[in-house]
Amino acid sequence: MLQTIRDRAQGWIAWVIVILISIPFALWGIQSYMGVGGEPIAATVNGFEIPARDLDRQVQEARFELRERLGAAYDPAEFDDKRLRAEVLDNLIQEALLMDVVRRLGLRASDQDVQMQILSDPSFLSDGRFDKEIYERLLGFQGMTPAMYEAQLRQKMTATQLLRAVSASEFATRSELALHQRLMGQKRELSYVRFPIADYRSDAPIDEAEVTAYYEANAGRFQTPEQVKVDYLLLDTDSLMSKVEVSEKDLRDFYDADRSRFVQPERRGVRHLLIKVAADADEAGANAVLEEIKGIRERILAGESFEELARTLSQDPGSAANGGSLGVIESGIMVPAFDQVAFSLPTGEVSEAVRTPFGYHLIQVTEVLPSEAKPFEAVRDELRSELSKQRAEGLFYDLGERLANISYESRDSLEPAAEELGLTIQQSDWIGREASGEGILAQPKVIAAAFSEDVLVARHNSDLIEPERDRLQAVVLRVAEHRETSTKPLSEVRDEIVAELRDEKAKKEVMAAAESLAEKLRGGLDWAEGSASLKPEAPGLVDREAAEVPGAVLDTAFKLPIPAEGMASVGTTMIDTGDAAVVRVTKIQDGEVKTPGEGVVAPEAFMLTQVMGRQTYTNMLRDLEVRAAIKRKAIDADEAL
Amino acid sequence: MNYETDEEKVEAIKKWWKDNGLSVIAGAAIGIGAIFGWRLWVGHQESTASEASIAFEQLLLDAAGNQPDAVASQAGMLQDEFGSTPYPALGSLVAAKTLYMAGKPVEAMASLQTVIDKAPDPALARIAALRLARIQVSENQLDEAEKTLKAHDTSPAFAGEFAAVRGDIAVARGDLAAARAAYQQAIEQGSSLSQLLRLKIDNLPAAG
Repeated sequence: MLQTIRDRAQGWIAWVIVILISIPFALWGIQSYMGVGGEPIAATVNGFEIPARDLDRQVQEARFELRERLGAAYDPAEFDDKRLRAEVLDNLIQEALLMDVVRRLGLRASDQDVQMQILSDPSFLSDGRFDKEIYERLLGFQGMTPAMYEAQLRQKMTATQLLRAVSASEFATRSELALHQRLMGQKRELSYVRFPIADYRSDAPIDEAEVTAYYEANAGRFQTPEQVKVDYLLLDTDSLMSKVEVSEKDLRDFYDADRSRFVQPERRGVRHLLIKVAADADEAGANAVLEEIKGIRERILAGESFEELARTLSQDPGSAANGGSLGVIESGIMVPAFDQVAFSLPTGEVSEAVRTPFGYHLIQVTEVLPSEAKPFEAVRDELRSELSKQRAEGLFYDLGERLANISYESRDSLEPAAEELGLTIQQSDWIGREASGEGILAQPKVIAAAFSEDVLVARHNSDLIEPERDRLQAVVLRVAEHRETSTKPLSEVRDEIVAELRDEKAKKEVMAAAESLAEKLRGGLDWAEGSASLKPEAPGLVDREAAEVPGAVLDTAFKLPIPAEGMASVGTTMIDTGDAAVVRVTKIQDGEVKTPGEGVVAPEAFMLTQVMGRQTYTNMLRDLEVRAAIKRKAIDADEAL
Repeated sequence: MNYETDEEKVEAIKKWWKDNGLSVIAGAAIGIGAIFGWRLWVGHQESTASEASIAFEQLLLDAAGNQPDAVASQAGMLQDEFGSTPYPALGSLVAAKTLYMAGKPVEAMASLQTVIDKAPDPALARIAALRLARIQVSENQLDEAEKTLKAHDTSPAFAGEFAAVRGDIAVARGDLAAARAAYQQAIEQGSSLSQLLRLKIDNLPAAG
């Protein structure tokens, strides 16, 4: 039989079979090279793929960061997830572009620099030295080997190198700097005349047709938004505290259980005299100090005053002036060697020389305040409020759970829950989607619930809502009344419109008056020639920041073209109050150009350079982006967290 | 082909080896050699880049310490020894600043010209050209500046900055309308110095 196989195996059928079998072997694993059926891709940048997995992870991180930063104000429902994803993807693409250009150019941070970076990274230090074990363990947490981490770090460092080469080499040229100084320090000589708008207001009746036209043209402004009135049951610890009962015996038990809290430990009045021992002193040096301080101790024992000697000899600048007094201290504040002596020495005695890291001390205890316990009566009120708060919290969780259950079971009314739990149903005023309620009703979560389909349309009770995580407050609400968006009737807003129209007219007229004066002045007339009755204000030469001139006037003055010699530039503007002003600029004085000394960088130049450097870098990235082949896959928001 | 005996088969194999053995060995040798050669080449490339990188870091240090002579000689060393890497271009870019700040605009301009000539990426050439033109304006070489701008204003990413320099040239020549238009264009392109550009526009003398 073997012979038969042998014979047949020579034929073409055998070859076909062999080829068929070899195909899967030859192509095994090829998908990882071709990207066929691999993991989903978020974008490709010059052939480099950004996995969707990376994008997801970074989006989650960004979201987490936002939540940290915004705290209670963070509301996932309000958050535009698509935009966040797009932003994060843009960042990833920029990063990929940078990596791509760094690789393409052949930049490479040296092994030496990478090594230095790792060795000096504070996260890998233990006792101020690099610890290989910590290094490997930390990498392990992130699922990386040292080789992977080093490669990644090298990429980052190389990219930074490019960044530094491009932005740190930015400079401001001499003429740019001079111009900057001339412009920023520029002063303009100006005078202006105010036309008070009040002079142009009139009570003349406004044409009815105009009012109607305005009403129709601005219908959007006269809308009342969709609003609801809600009934709600509120649970919070503040109101629950008045409900819990705390007996005298409870208080006493509470006090007994935690007595140590109310004991004030022993305290002592201490003074000292310090002679320092230099940190690098050898034994002989230390001994010399010891002899010195022993001498001082003899003098005190012989009758000299500790205070006097401390004042003149102590090398502790903080206490010497006070005769060495450190005030009243508790045990555990000073270094152990000092502490031990200070809290064992009898009052009035002078200690032996005590060695601490600072040097040698002599210590004297001036008074001992023994440890004392606060009596029950003194802390009773404190205990009562603490205990009732504790109980109110317990009650809060208990009631909260029952409230949630009952209001869910009978979800067409709040009555059963109110009755069973002894709560009062409260009513709100009209509230809109834009937080317009007060207190708990202003909370975004509460408003979202009030306008949710289940509550607004189906008219069910809401779930139990706890608007702020850290505050023990919970609410269940139902919609009592609802009104759709509506436009206020003309009769209700007529006065508003009339006032508005009068204001517009007055503004138009006051500006026209200013403009006509400006026209005369532009013809070359002076203030007095323009109109004799005007009282121009003339602040004279002012800089861009001048506070005494109204902002709009200043702005206009610095925007007017430079007047020719002996001439004036004239402009008009409207000040915040509605008054019009005519502004006249007669002279311009450029800021002083300061040439910095050799090697000194003017602060303006530094700022200018910083801004330009950043811009250059952004431009470079944009330039790379324009030239790169970038493909973004459609962005689908993943499920919210 | 059919062989009668095993001996015949062995014969045939021997014959085939005699005819083709050399090519097989040569092929294998070339293949292995190519792999090793490639790895050696990559290793060499990386180590050269690493050394250049170290030299460049030194140059950055010198630049931060404001030592124009050291920077210039370090930049020259990069040119001479690491011409195959992108570092000479980066080095010259940094050297240009140090030289200019040390009051050597001519050397700075030469340095920027080197960057333009050897730029490993067009973006770097544009950055260098922009700076070159700005120094040229400052040195009152307006025609040269205009030429530099014209040759390199080819990317939308840098259009705003190029327009701003065109505005400066126009002001220097007293062509106020052109200056106004150029500054306006720079602002529209989103230059980060738009505030300063507005001041420049406001500071132009009245038209006509």
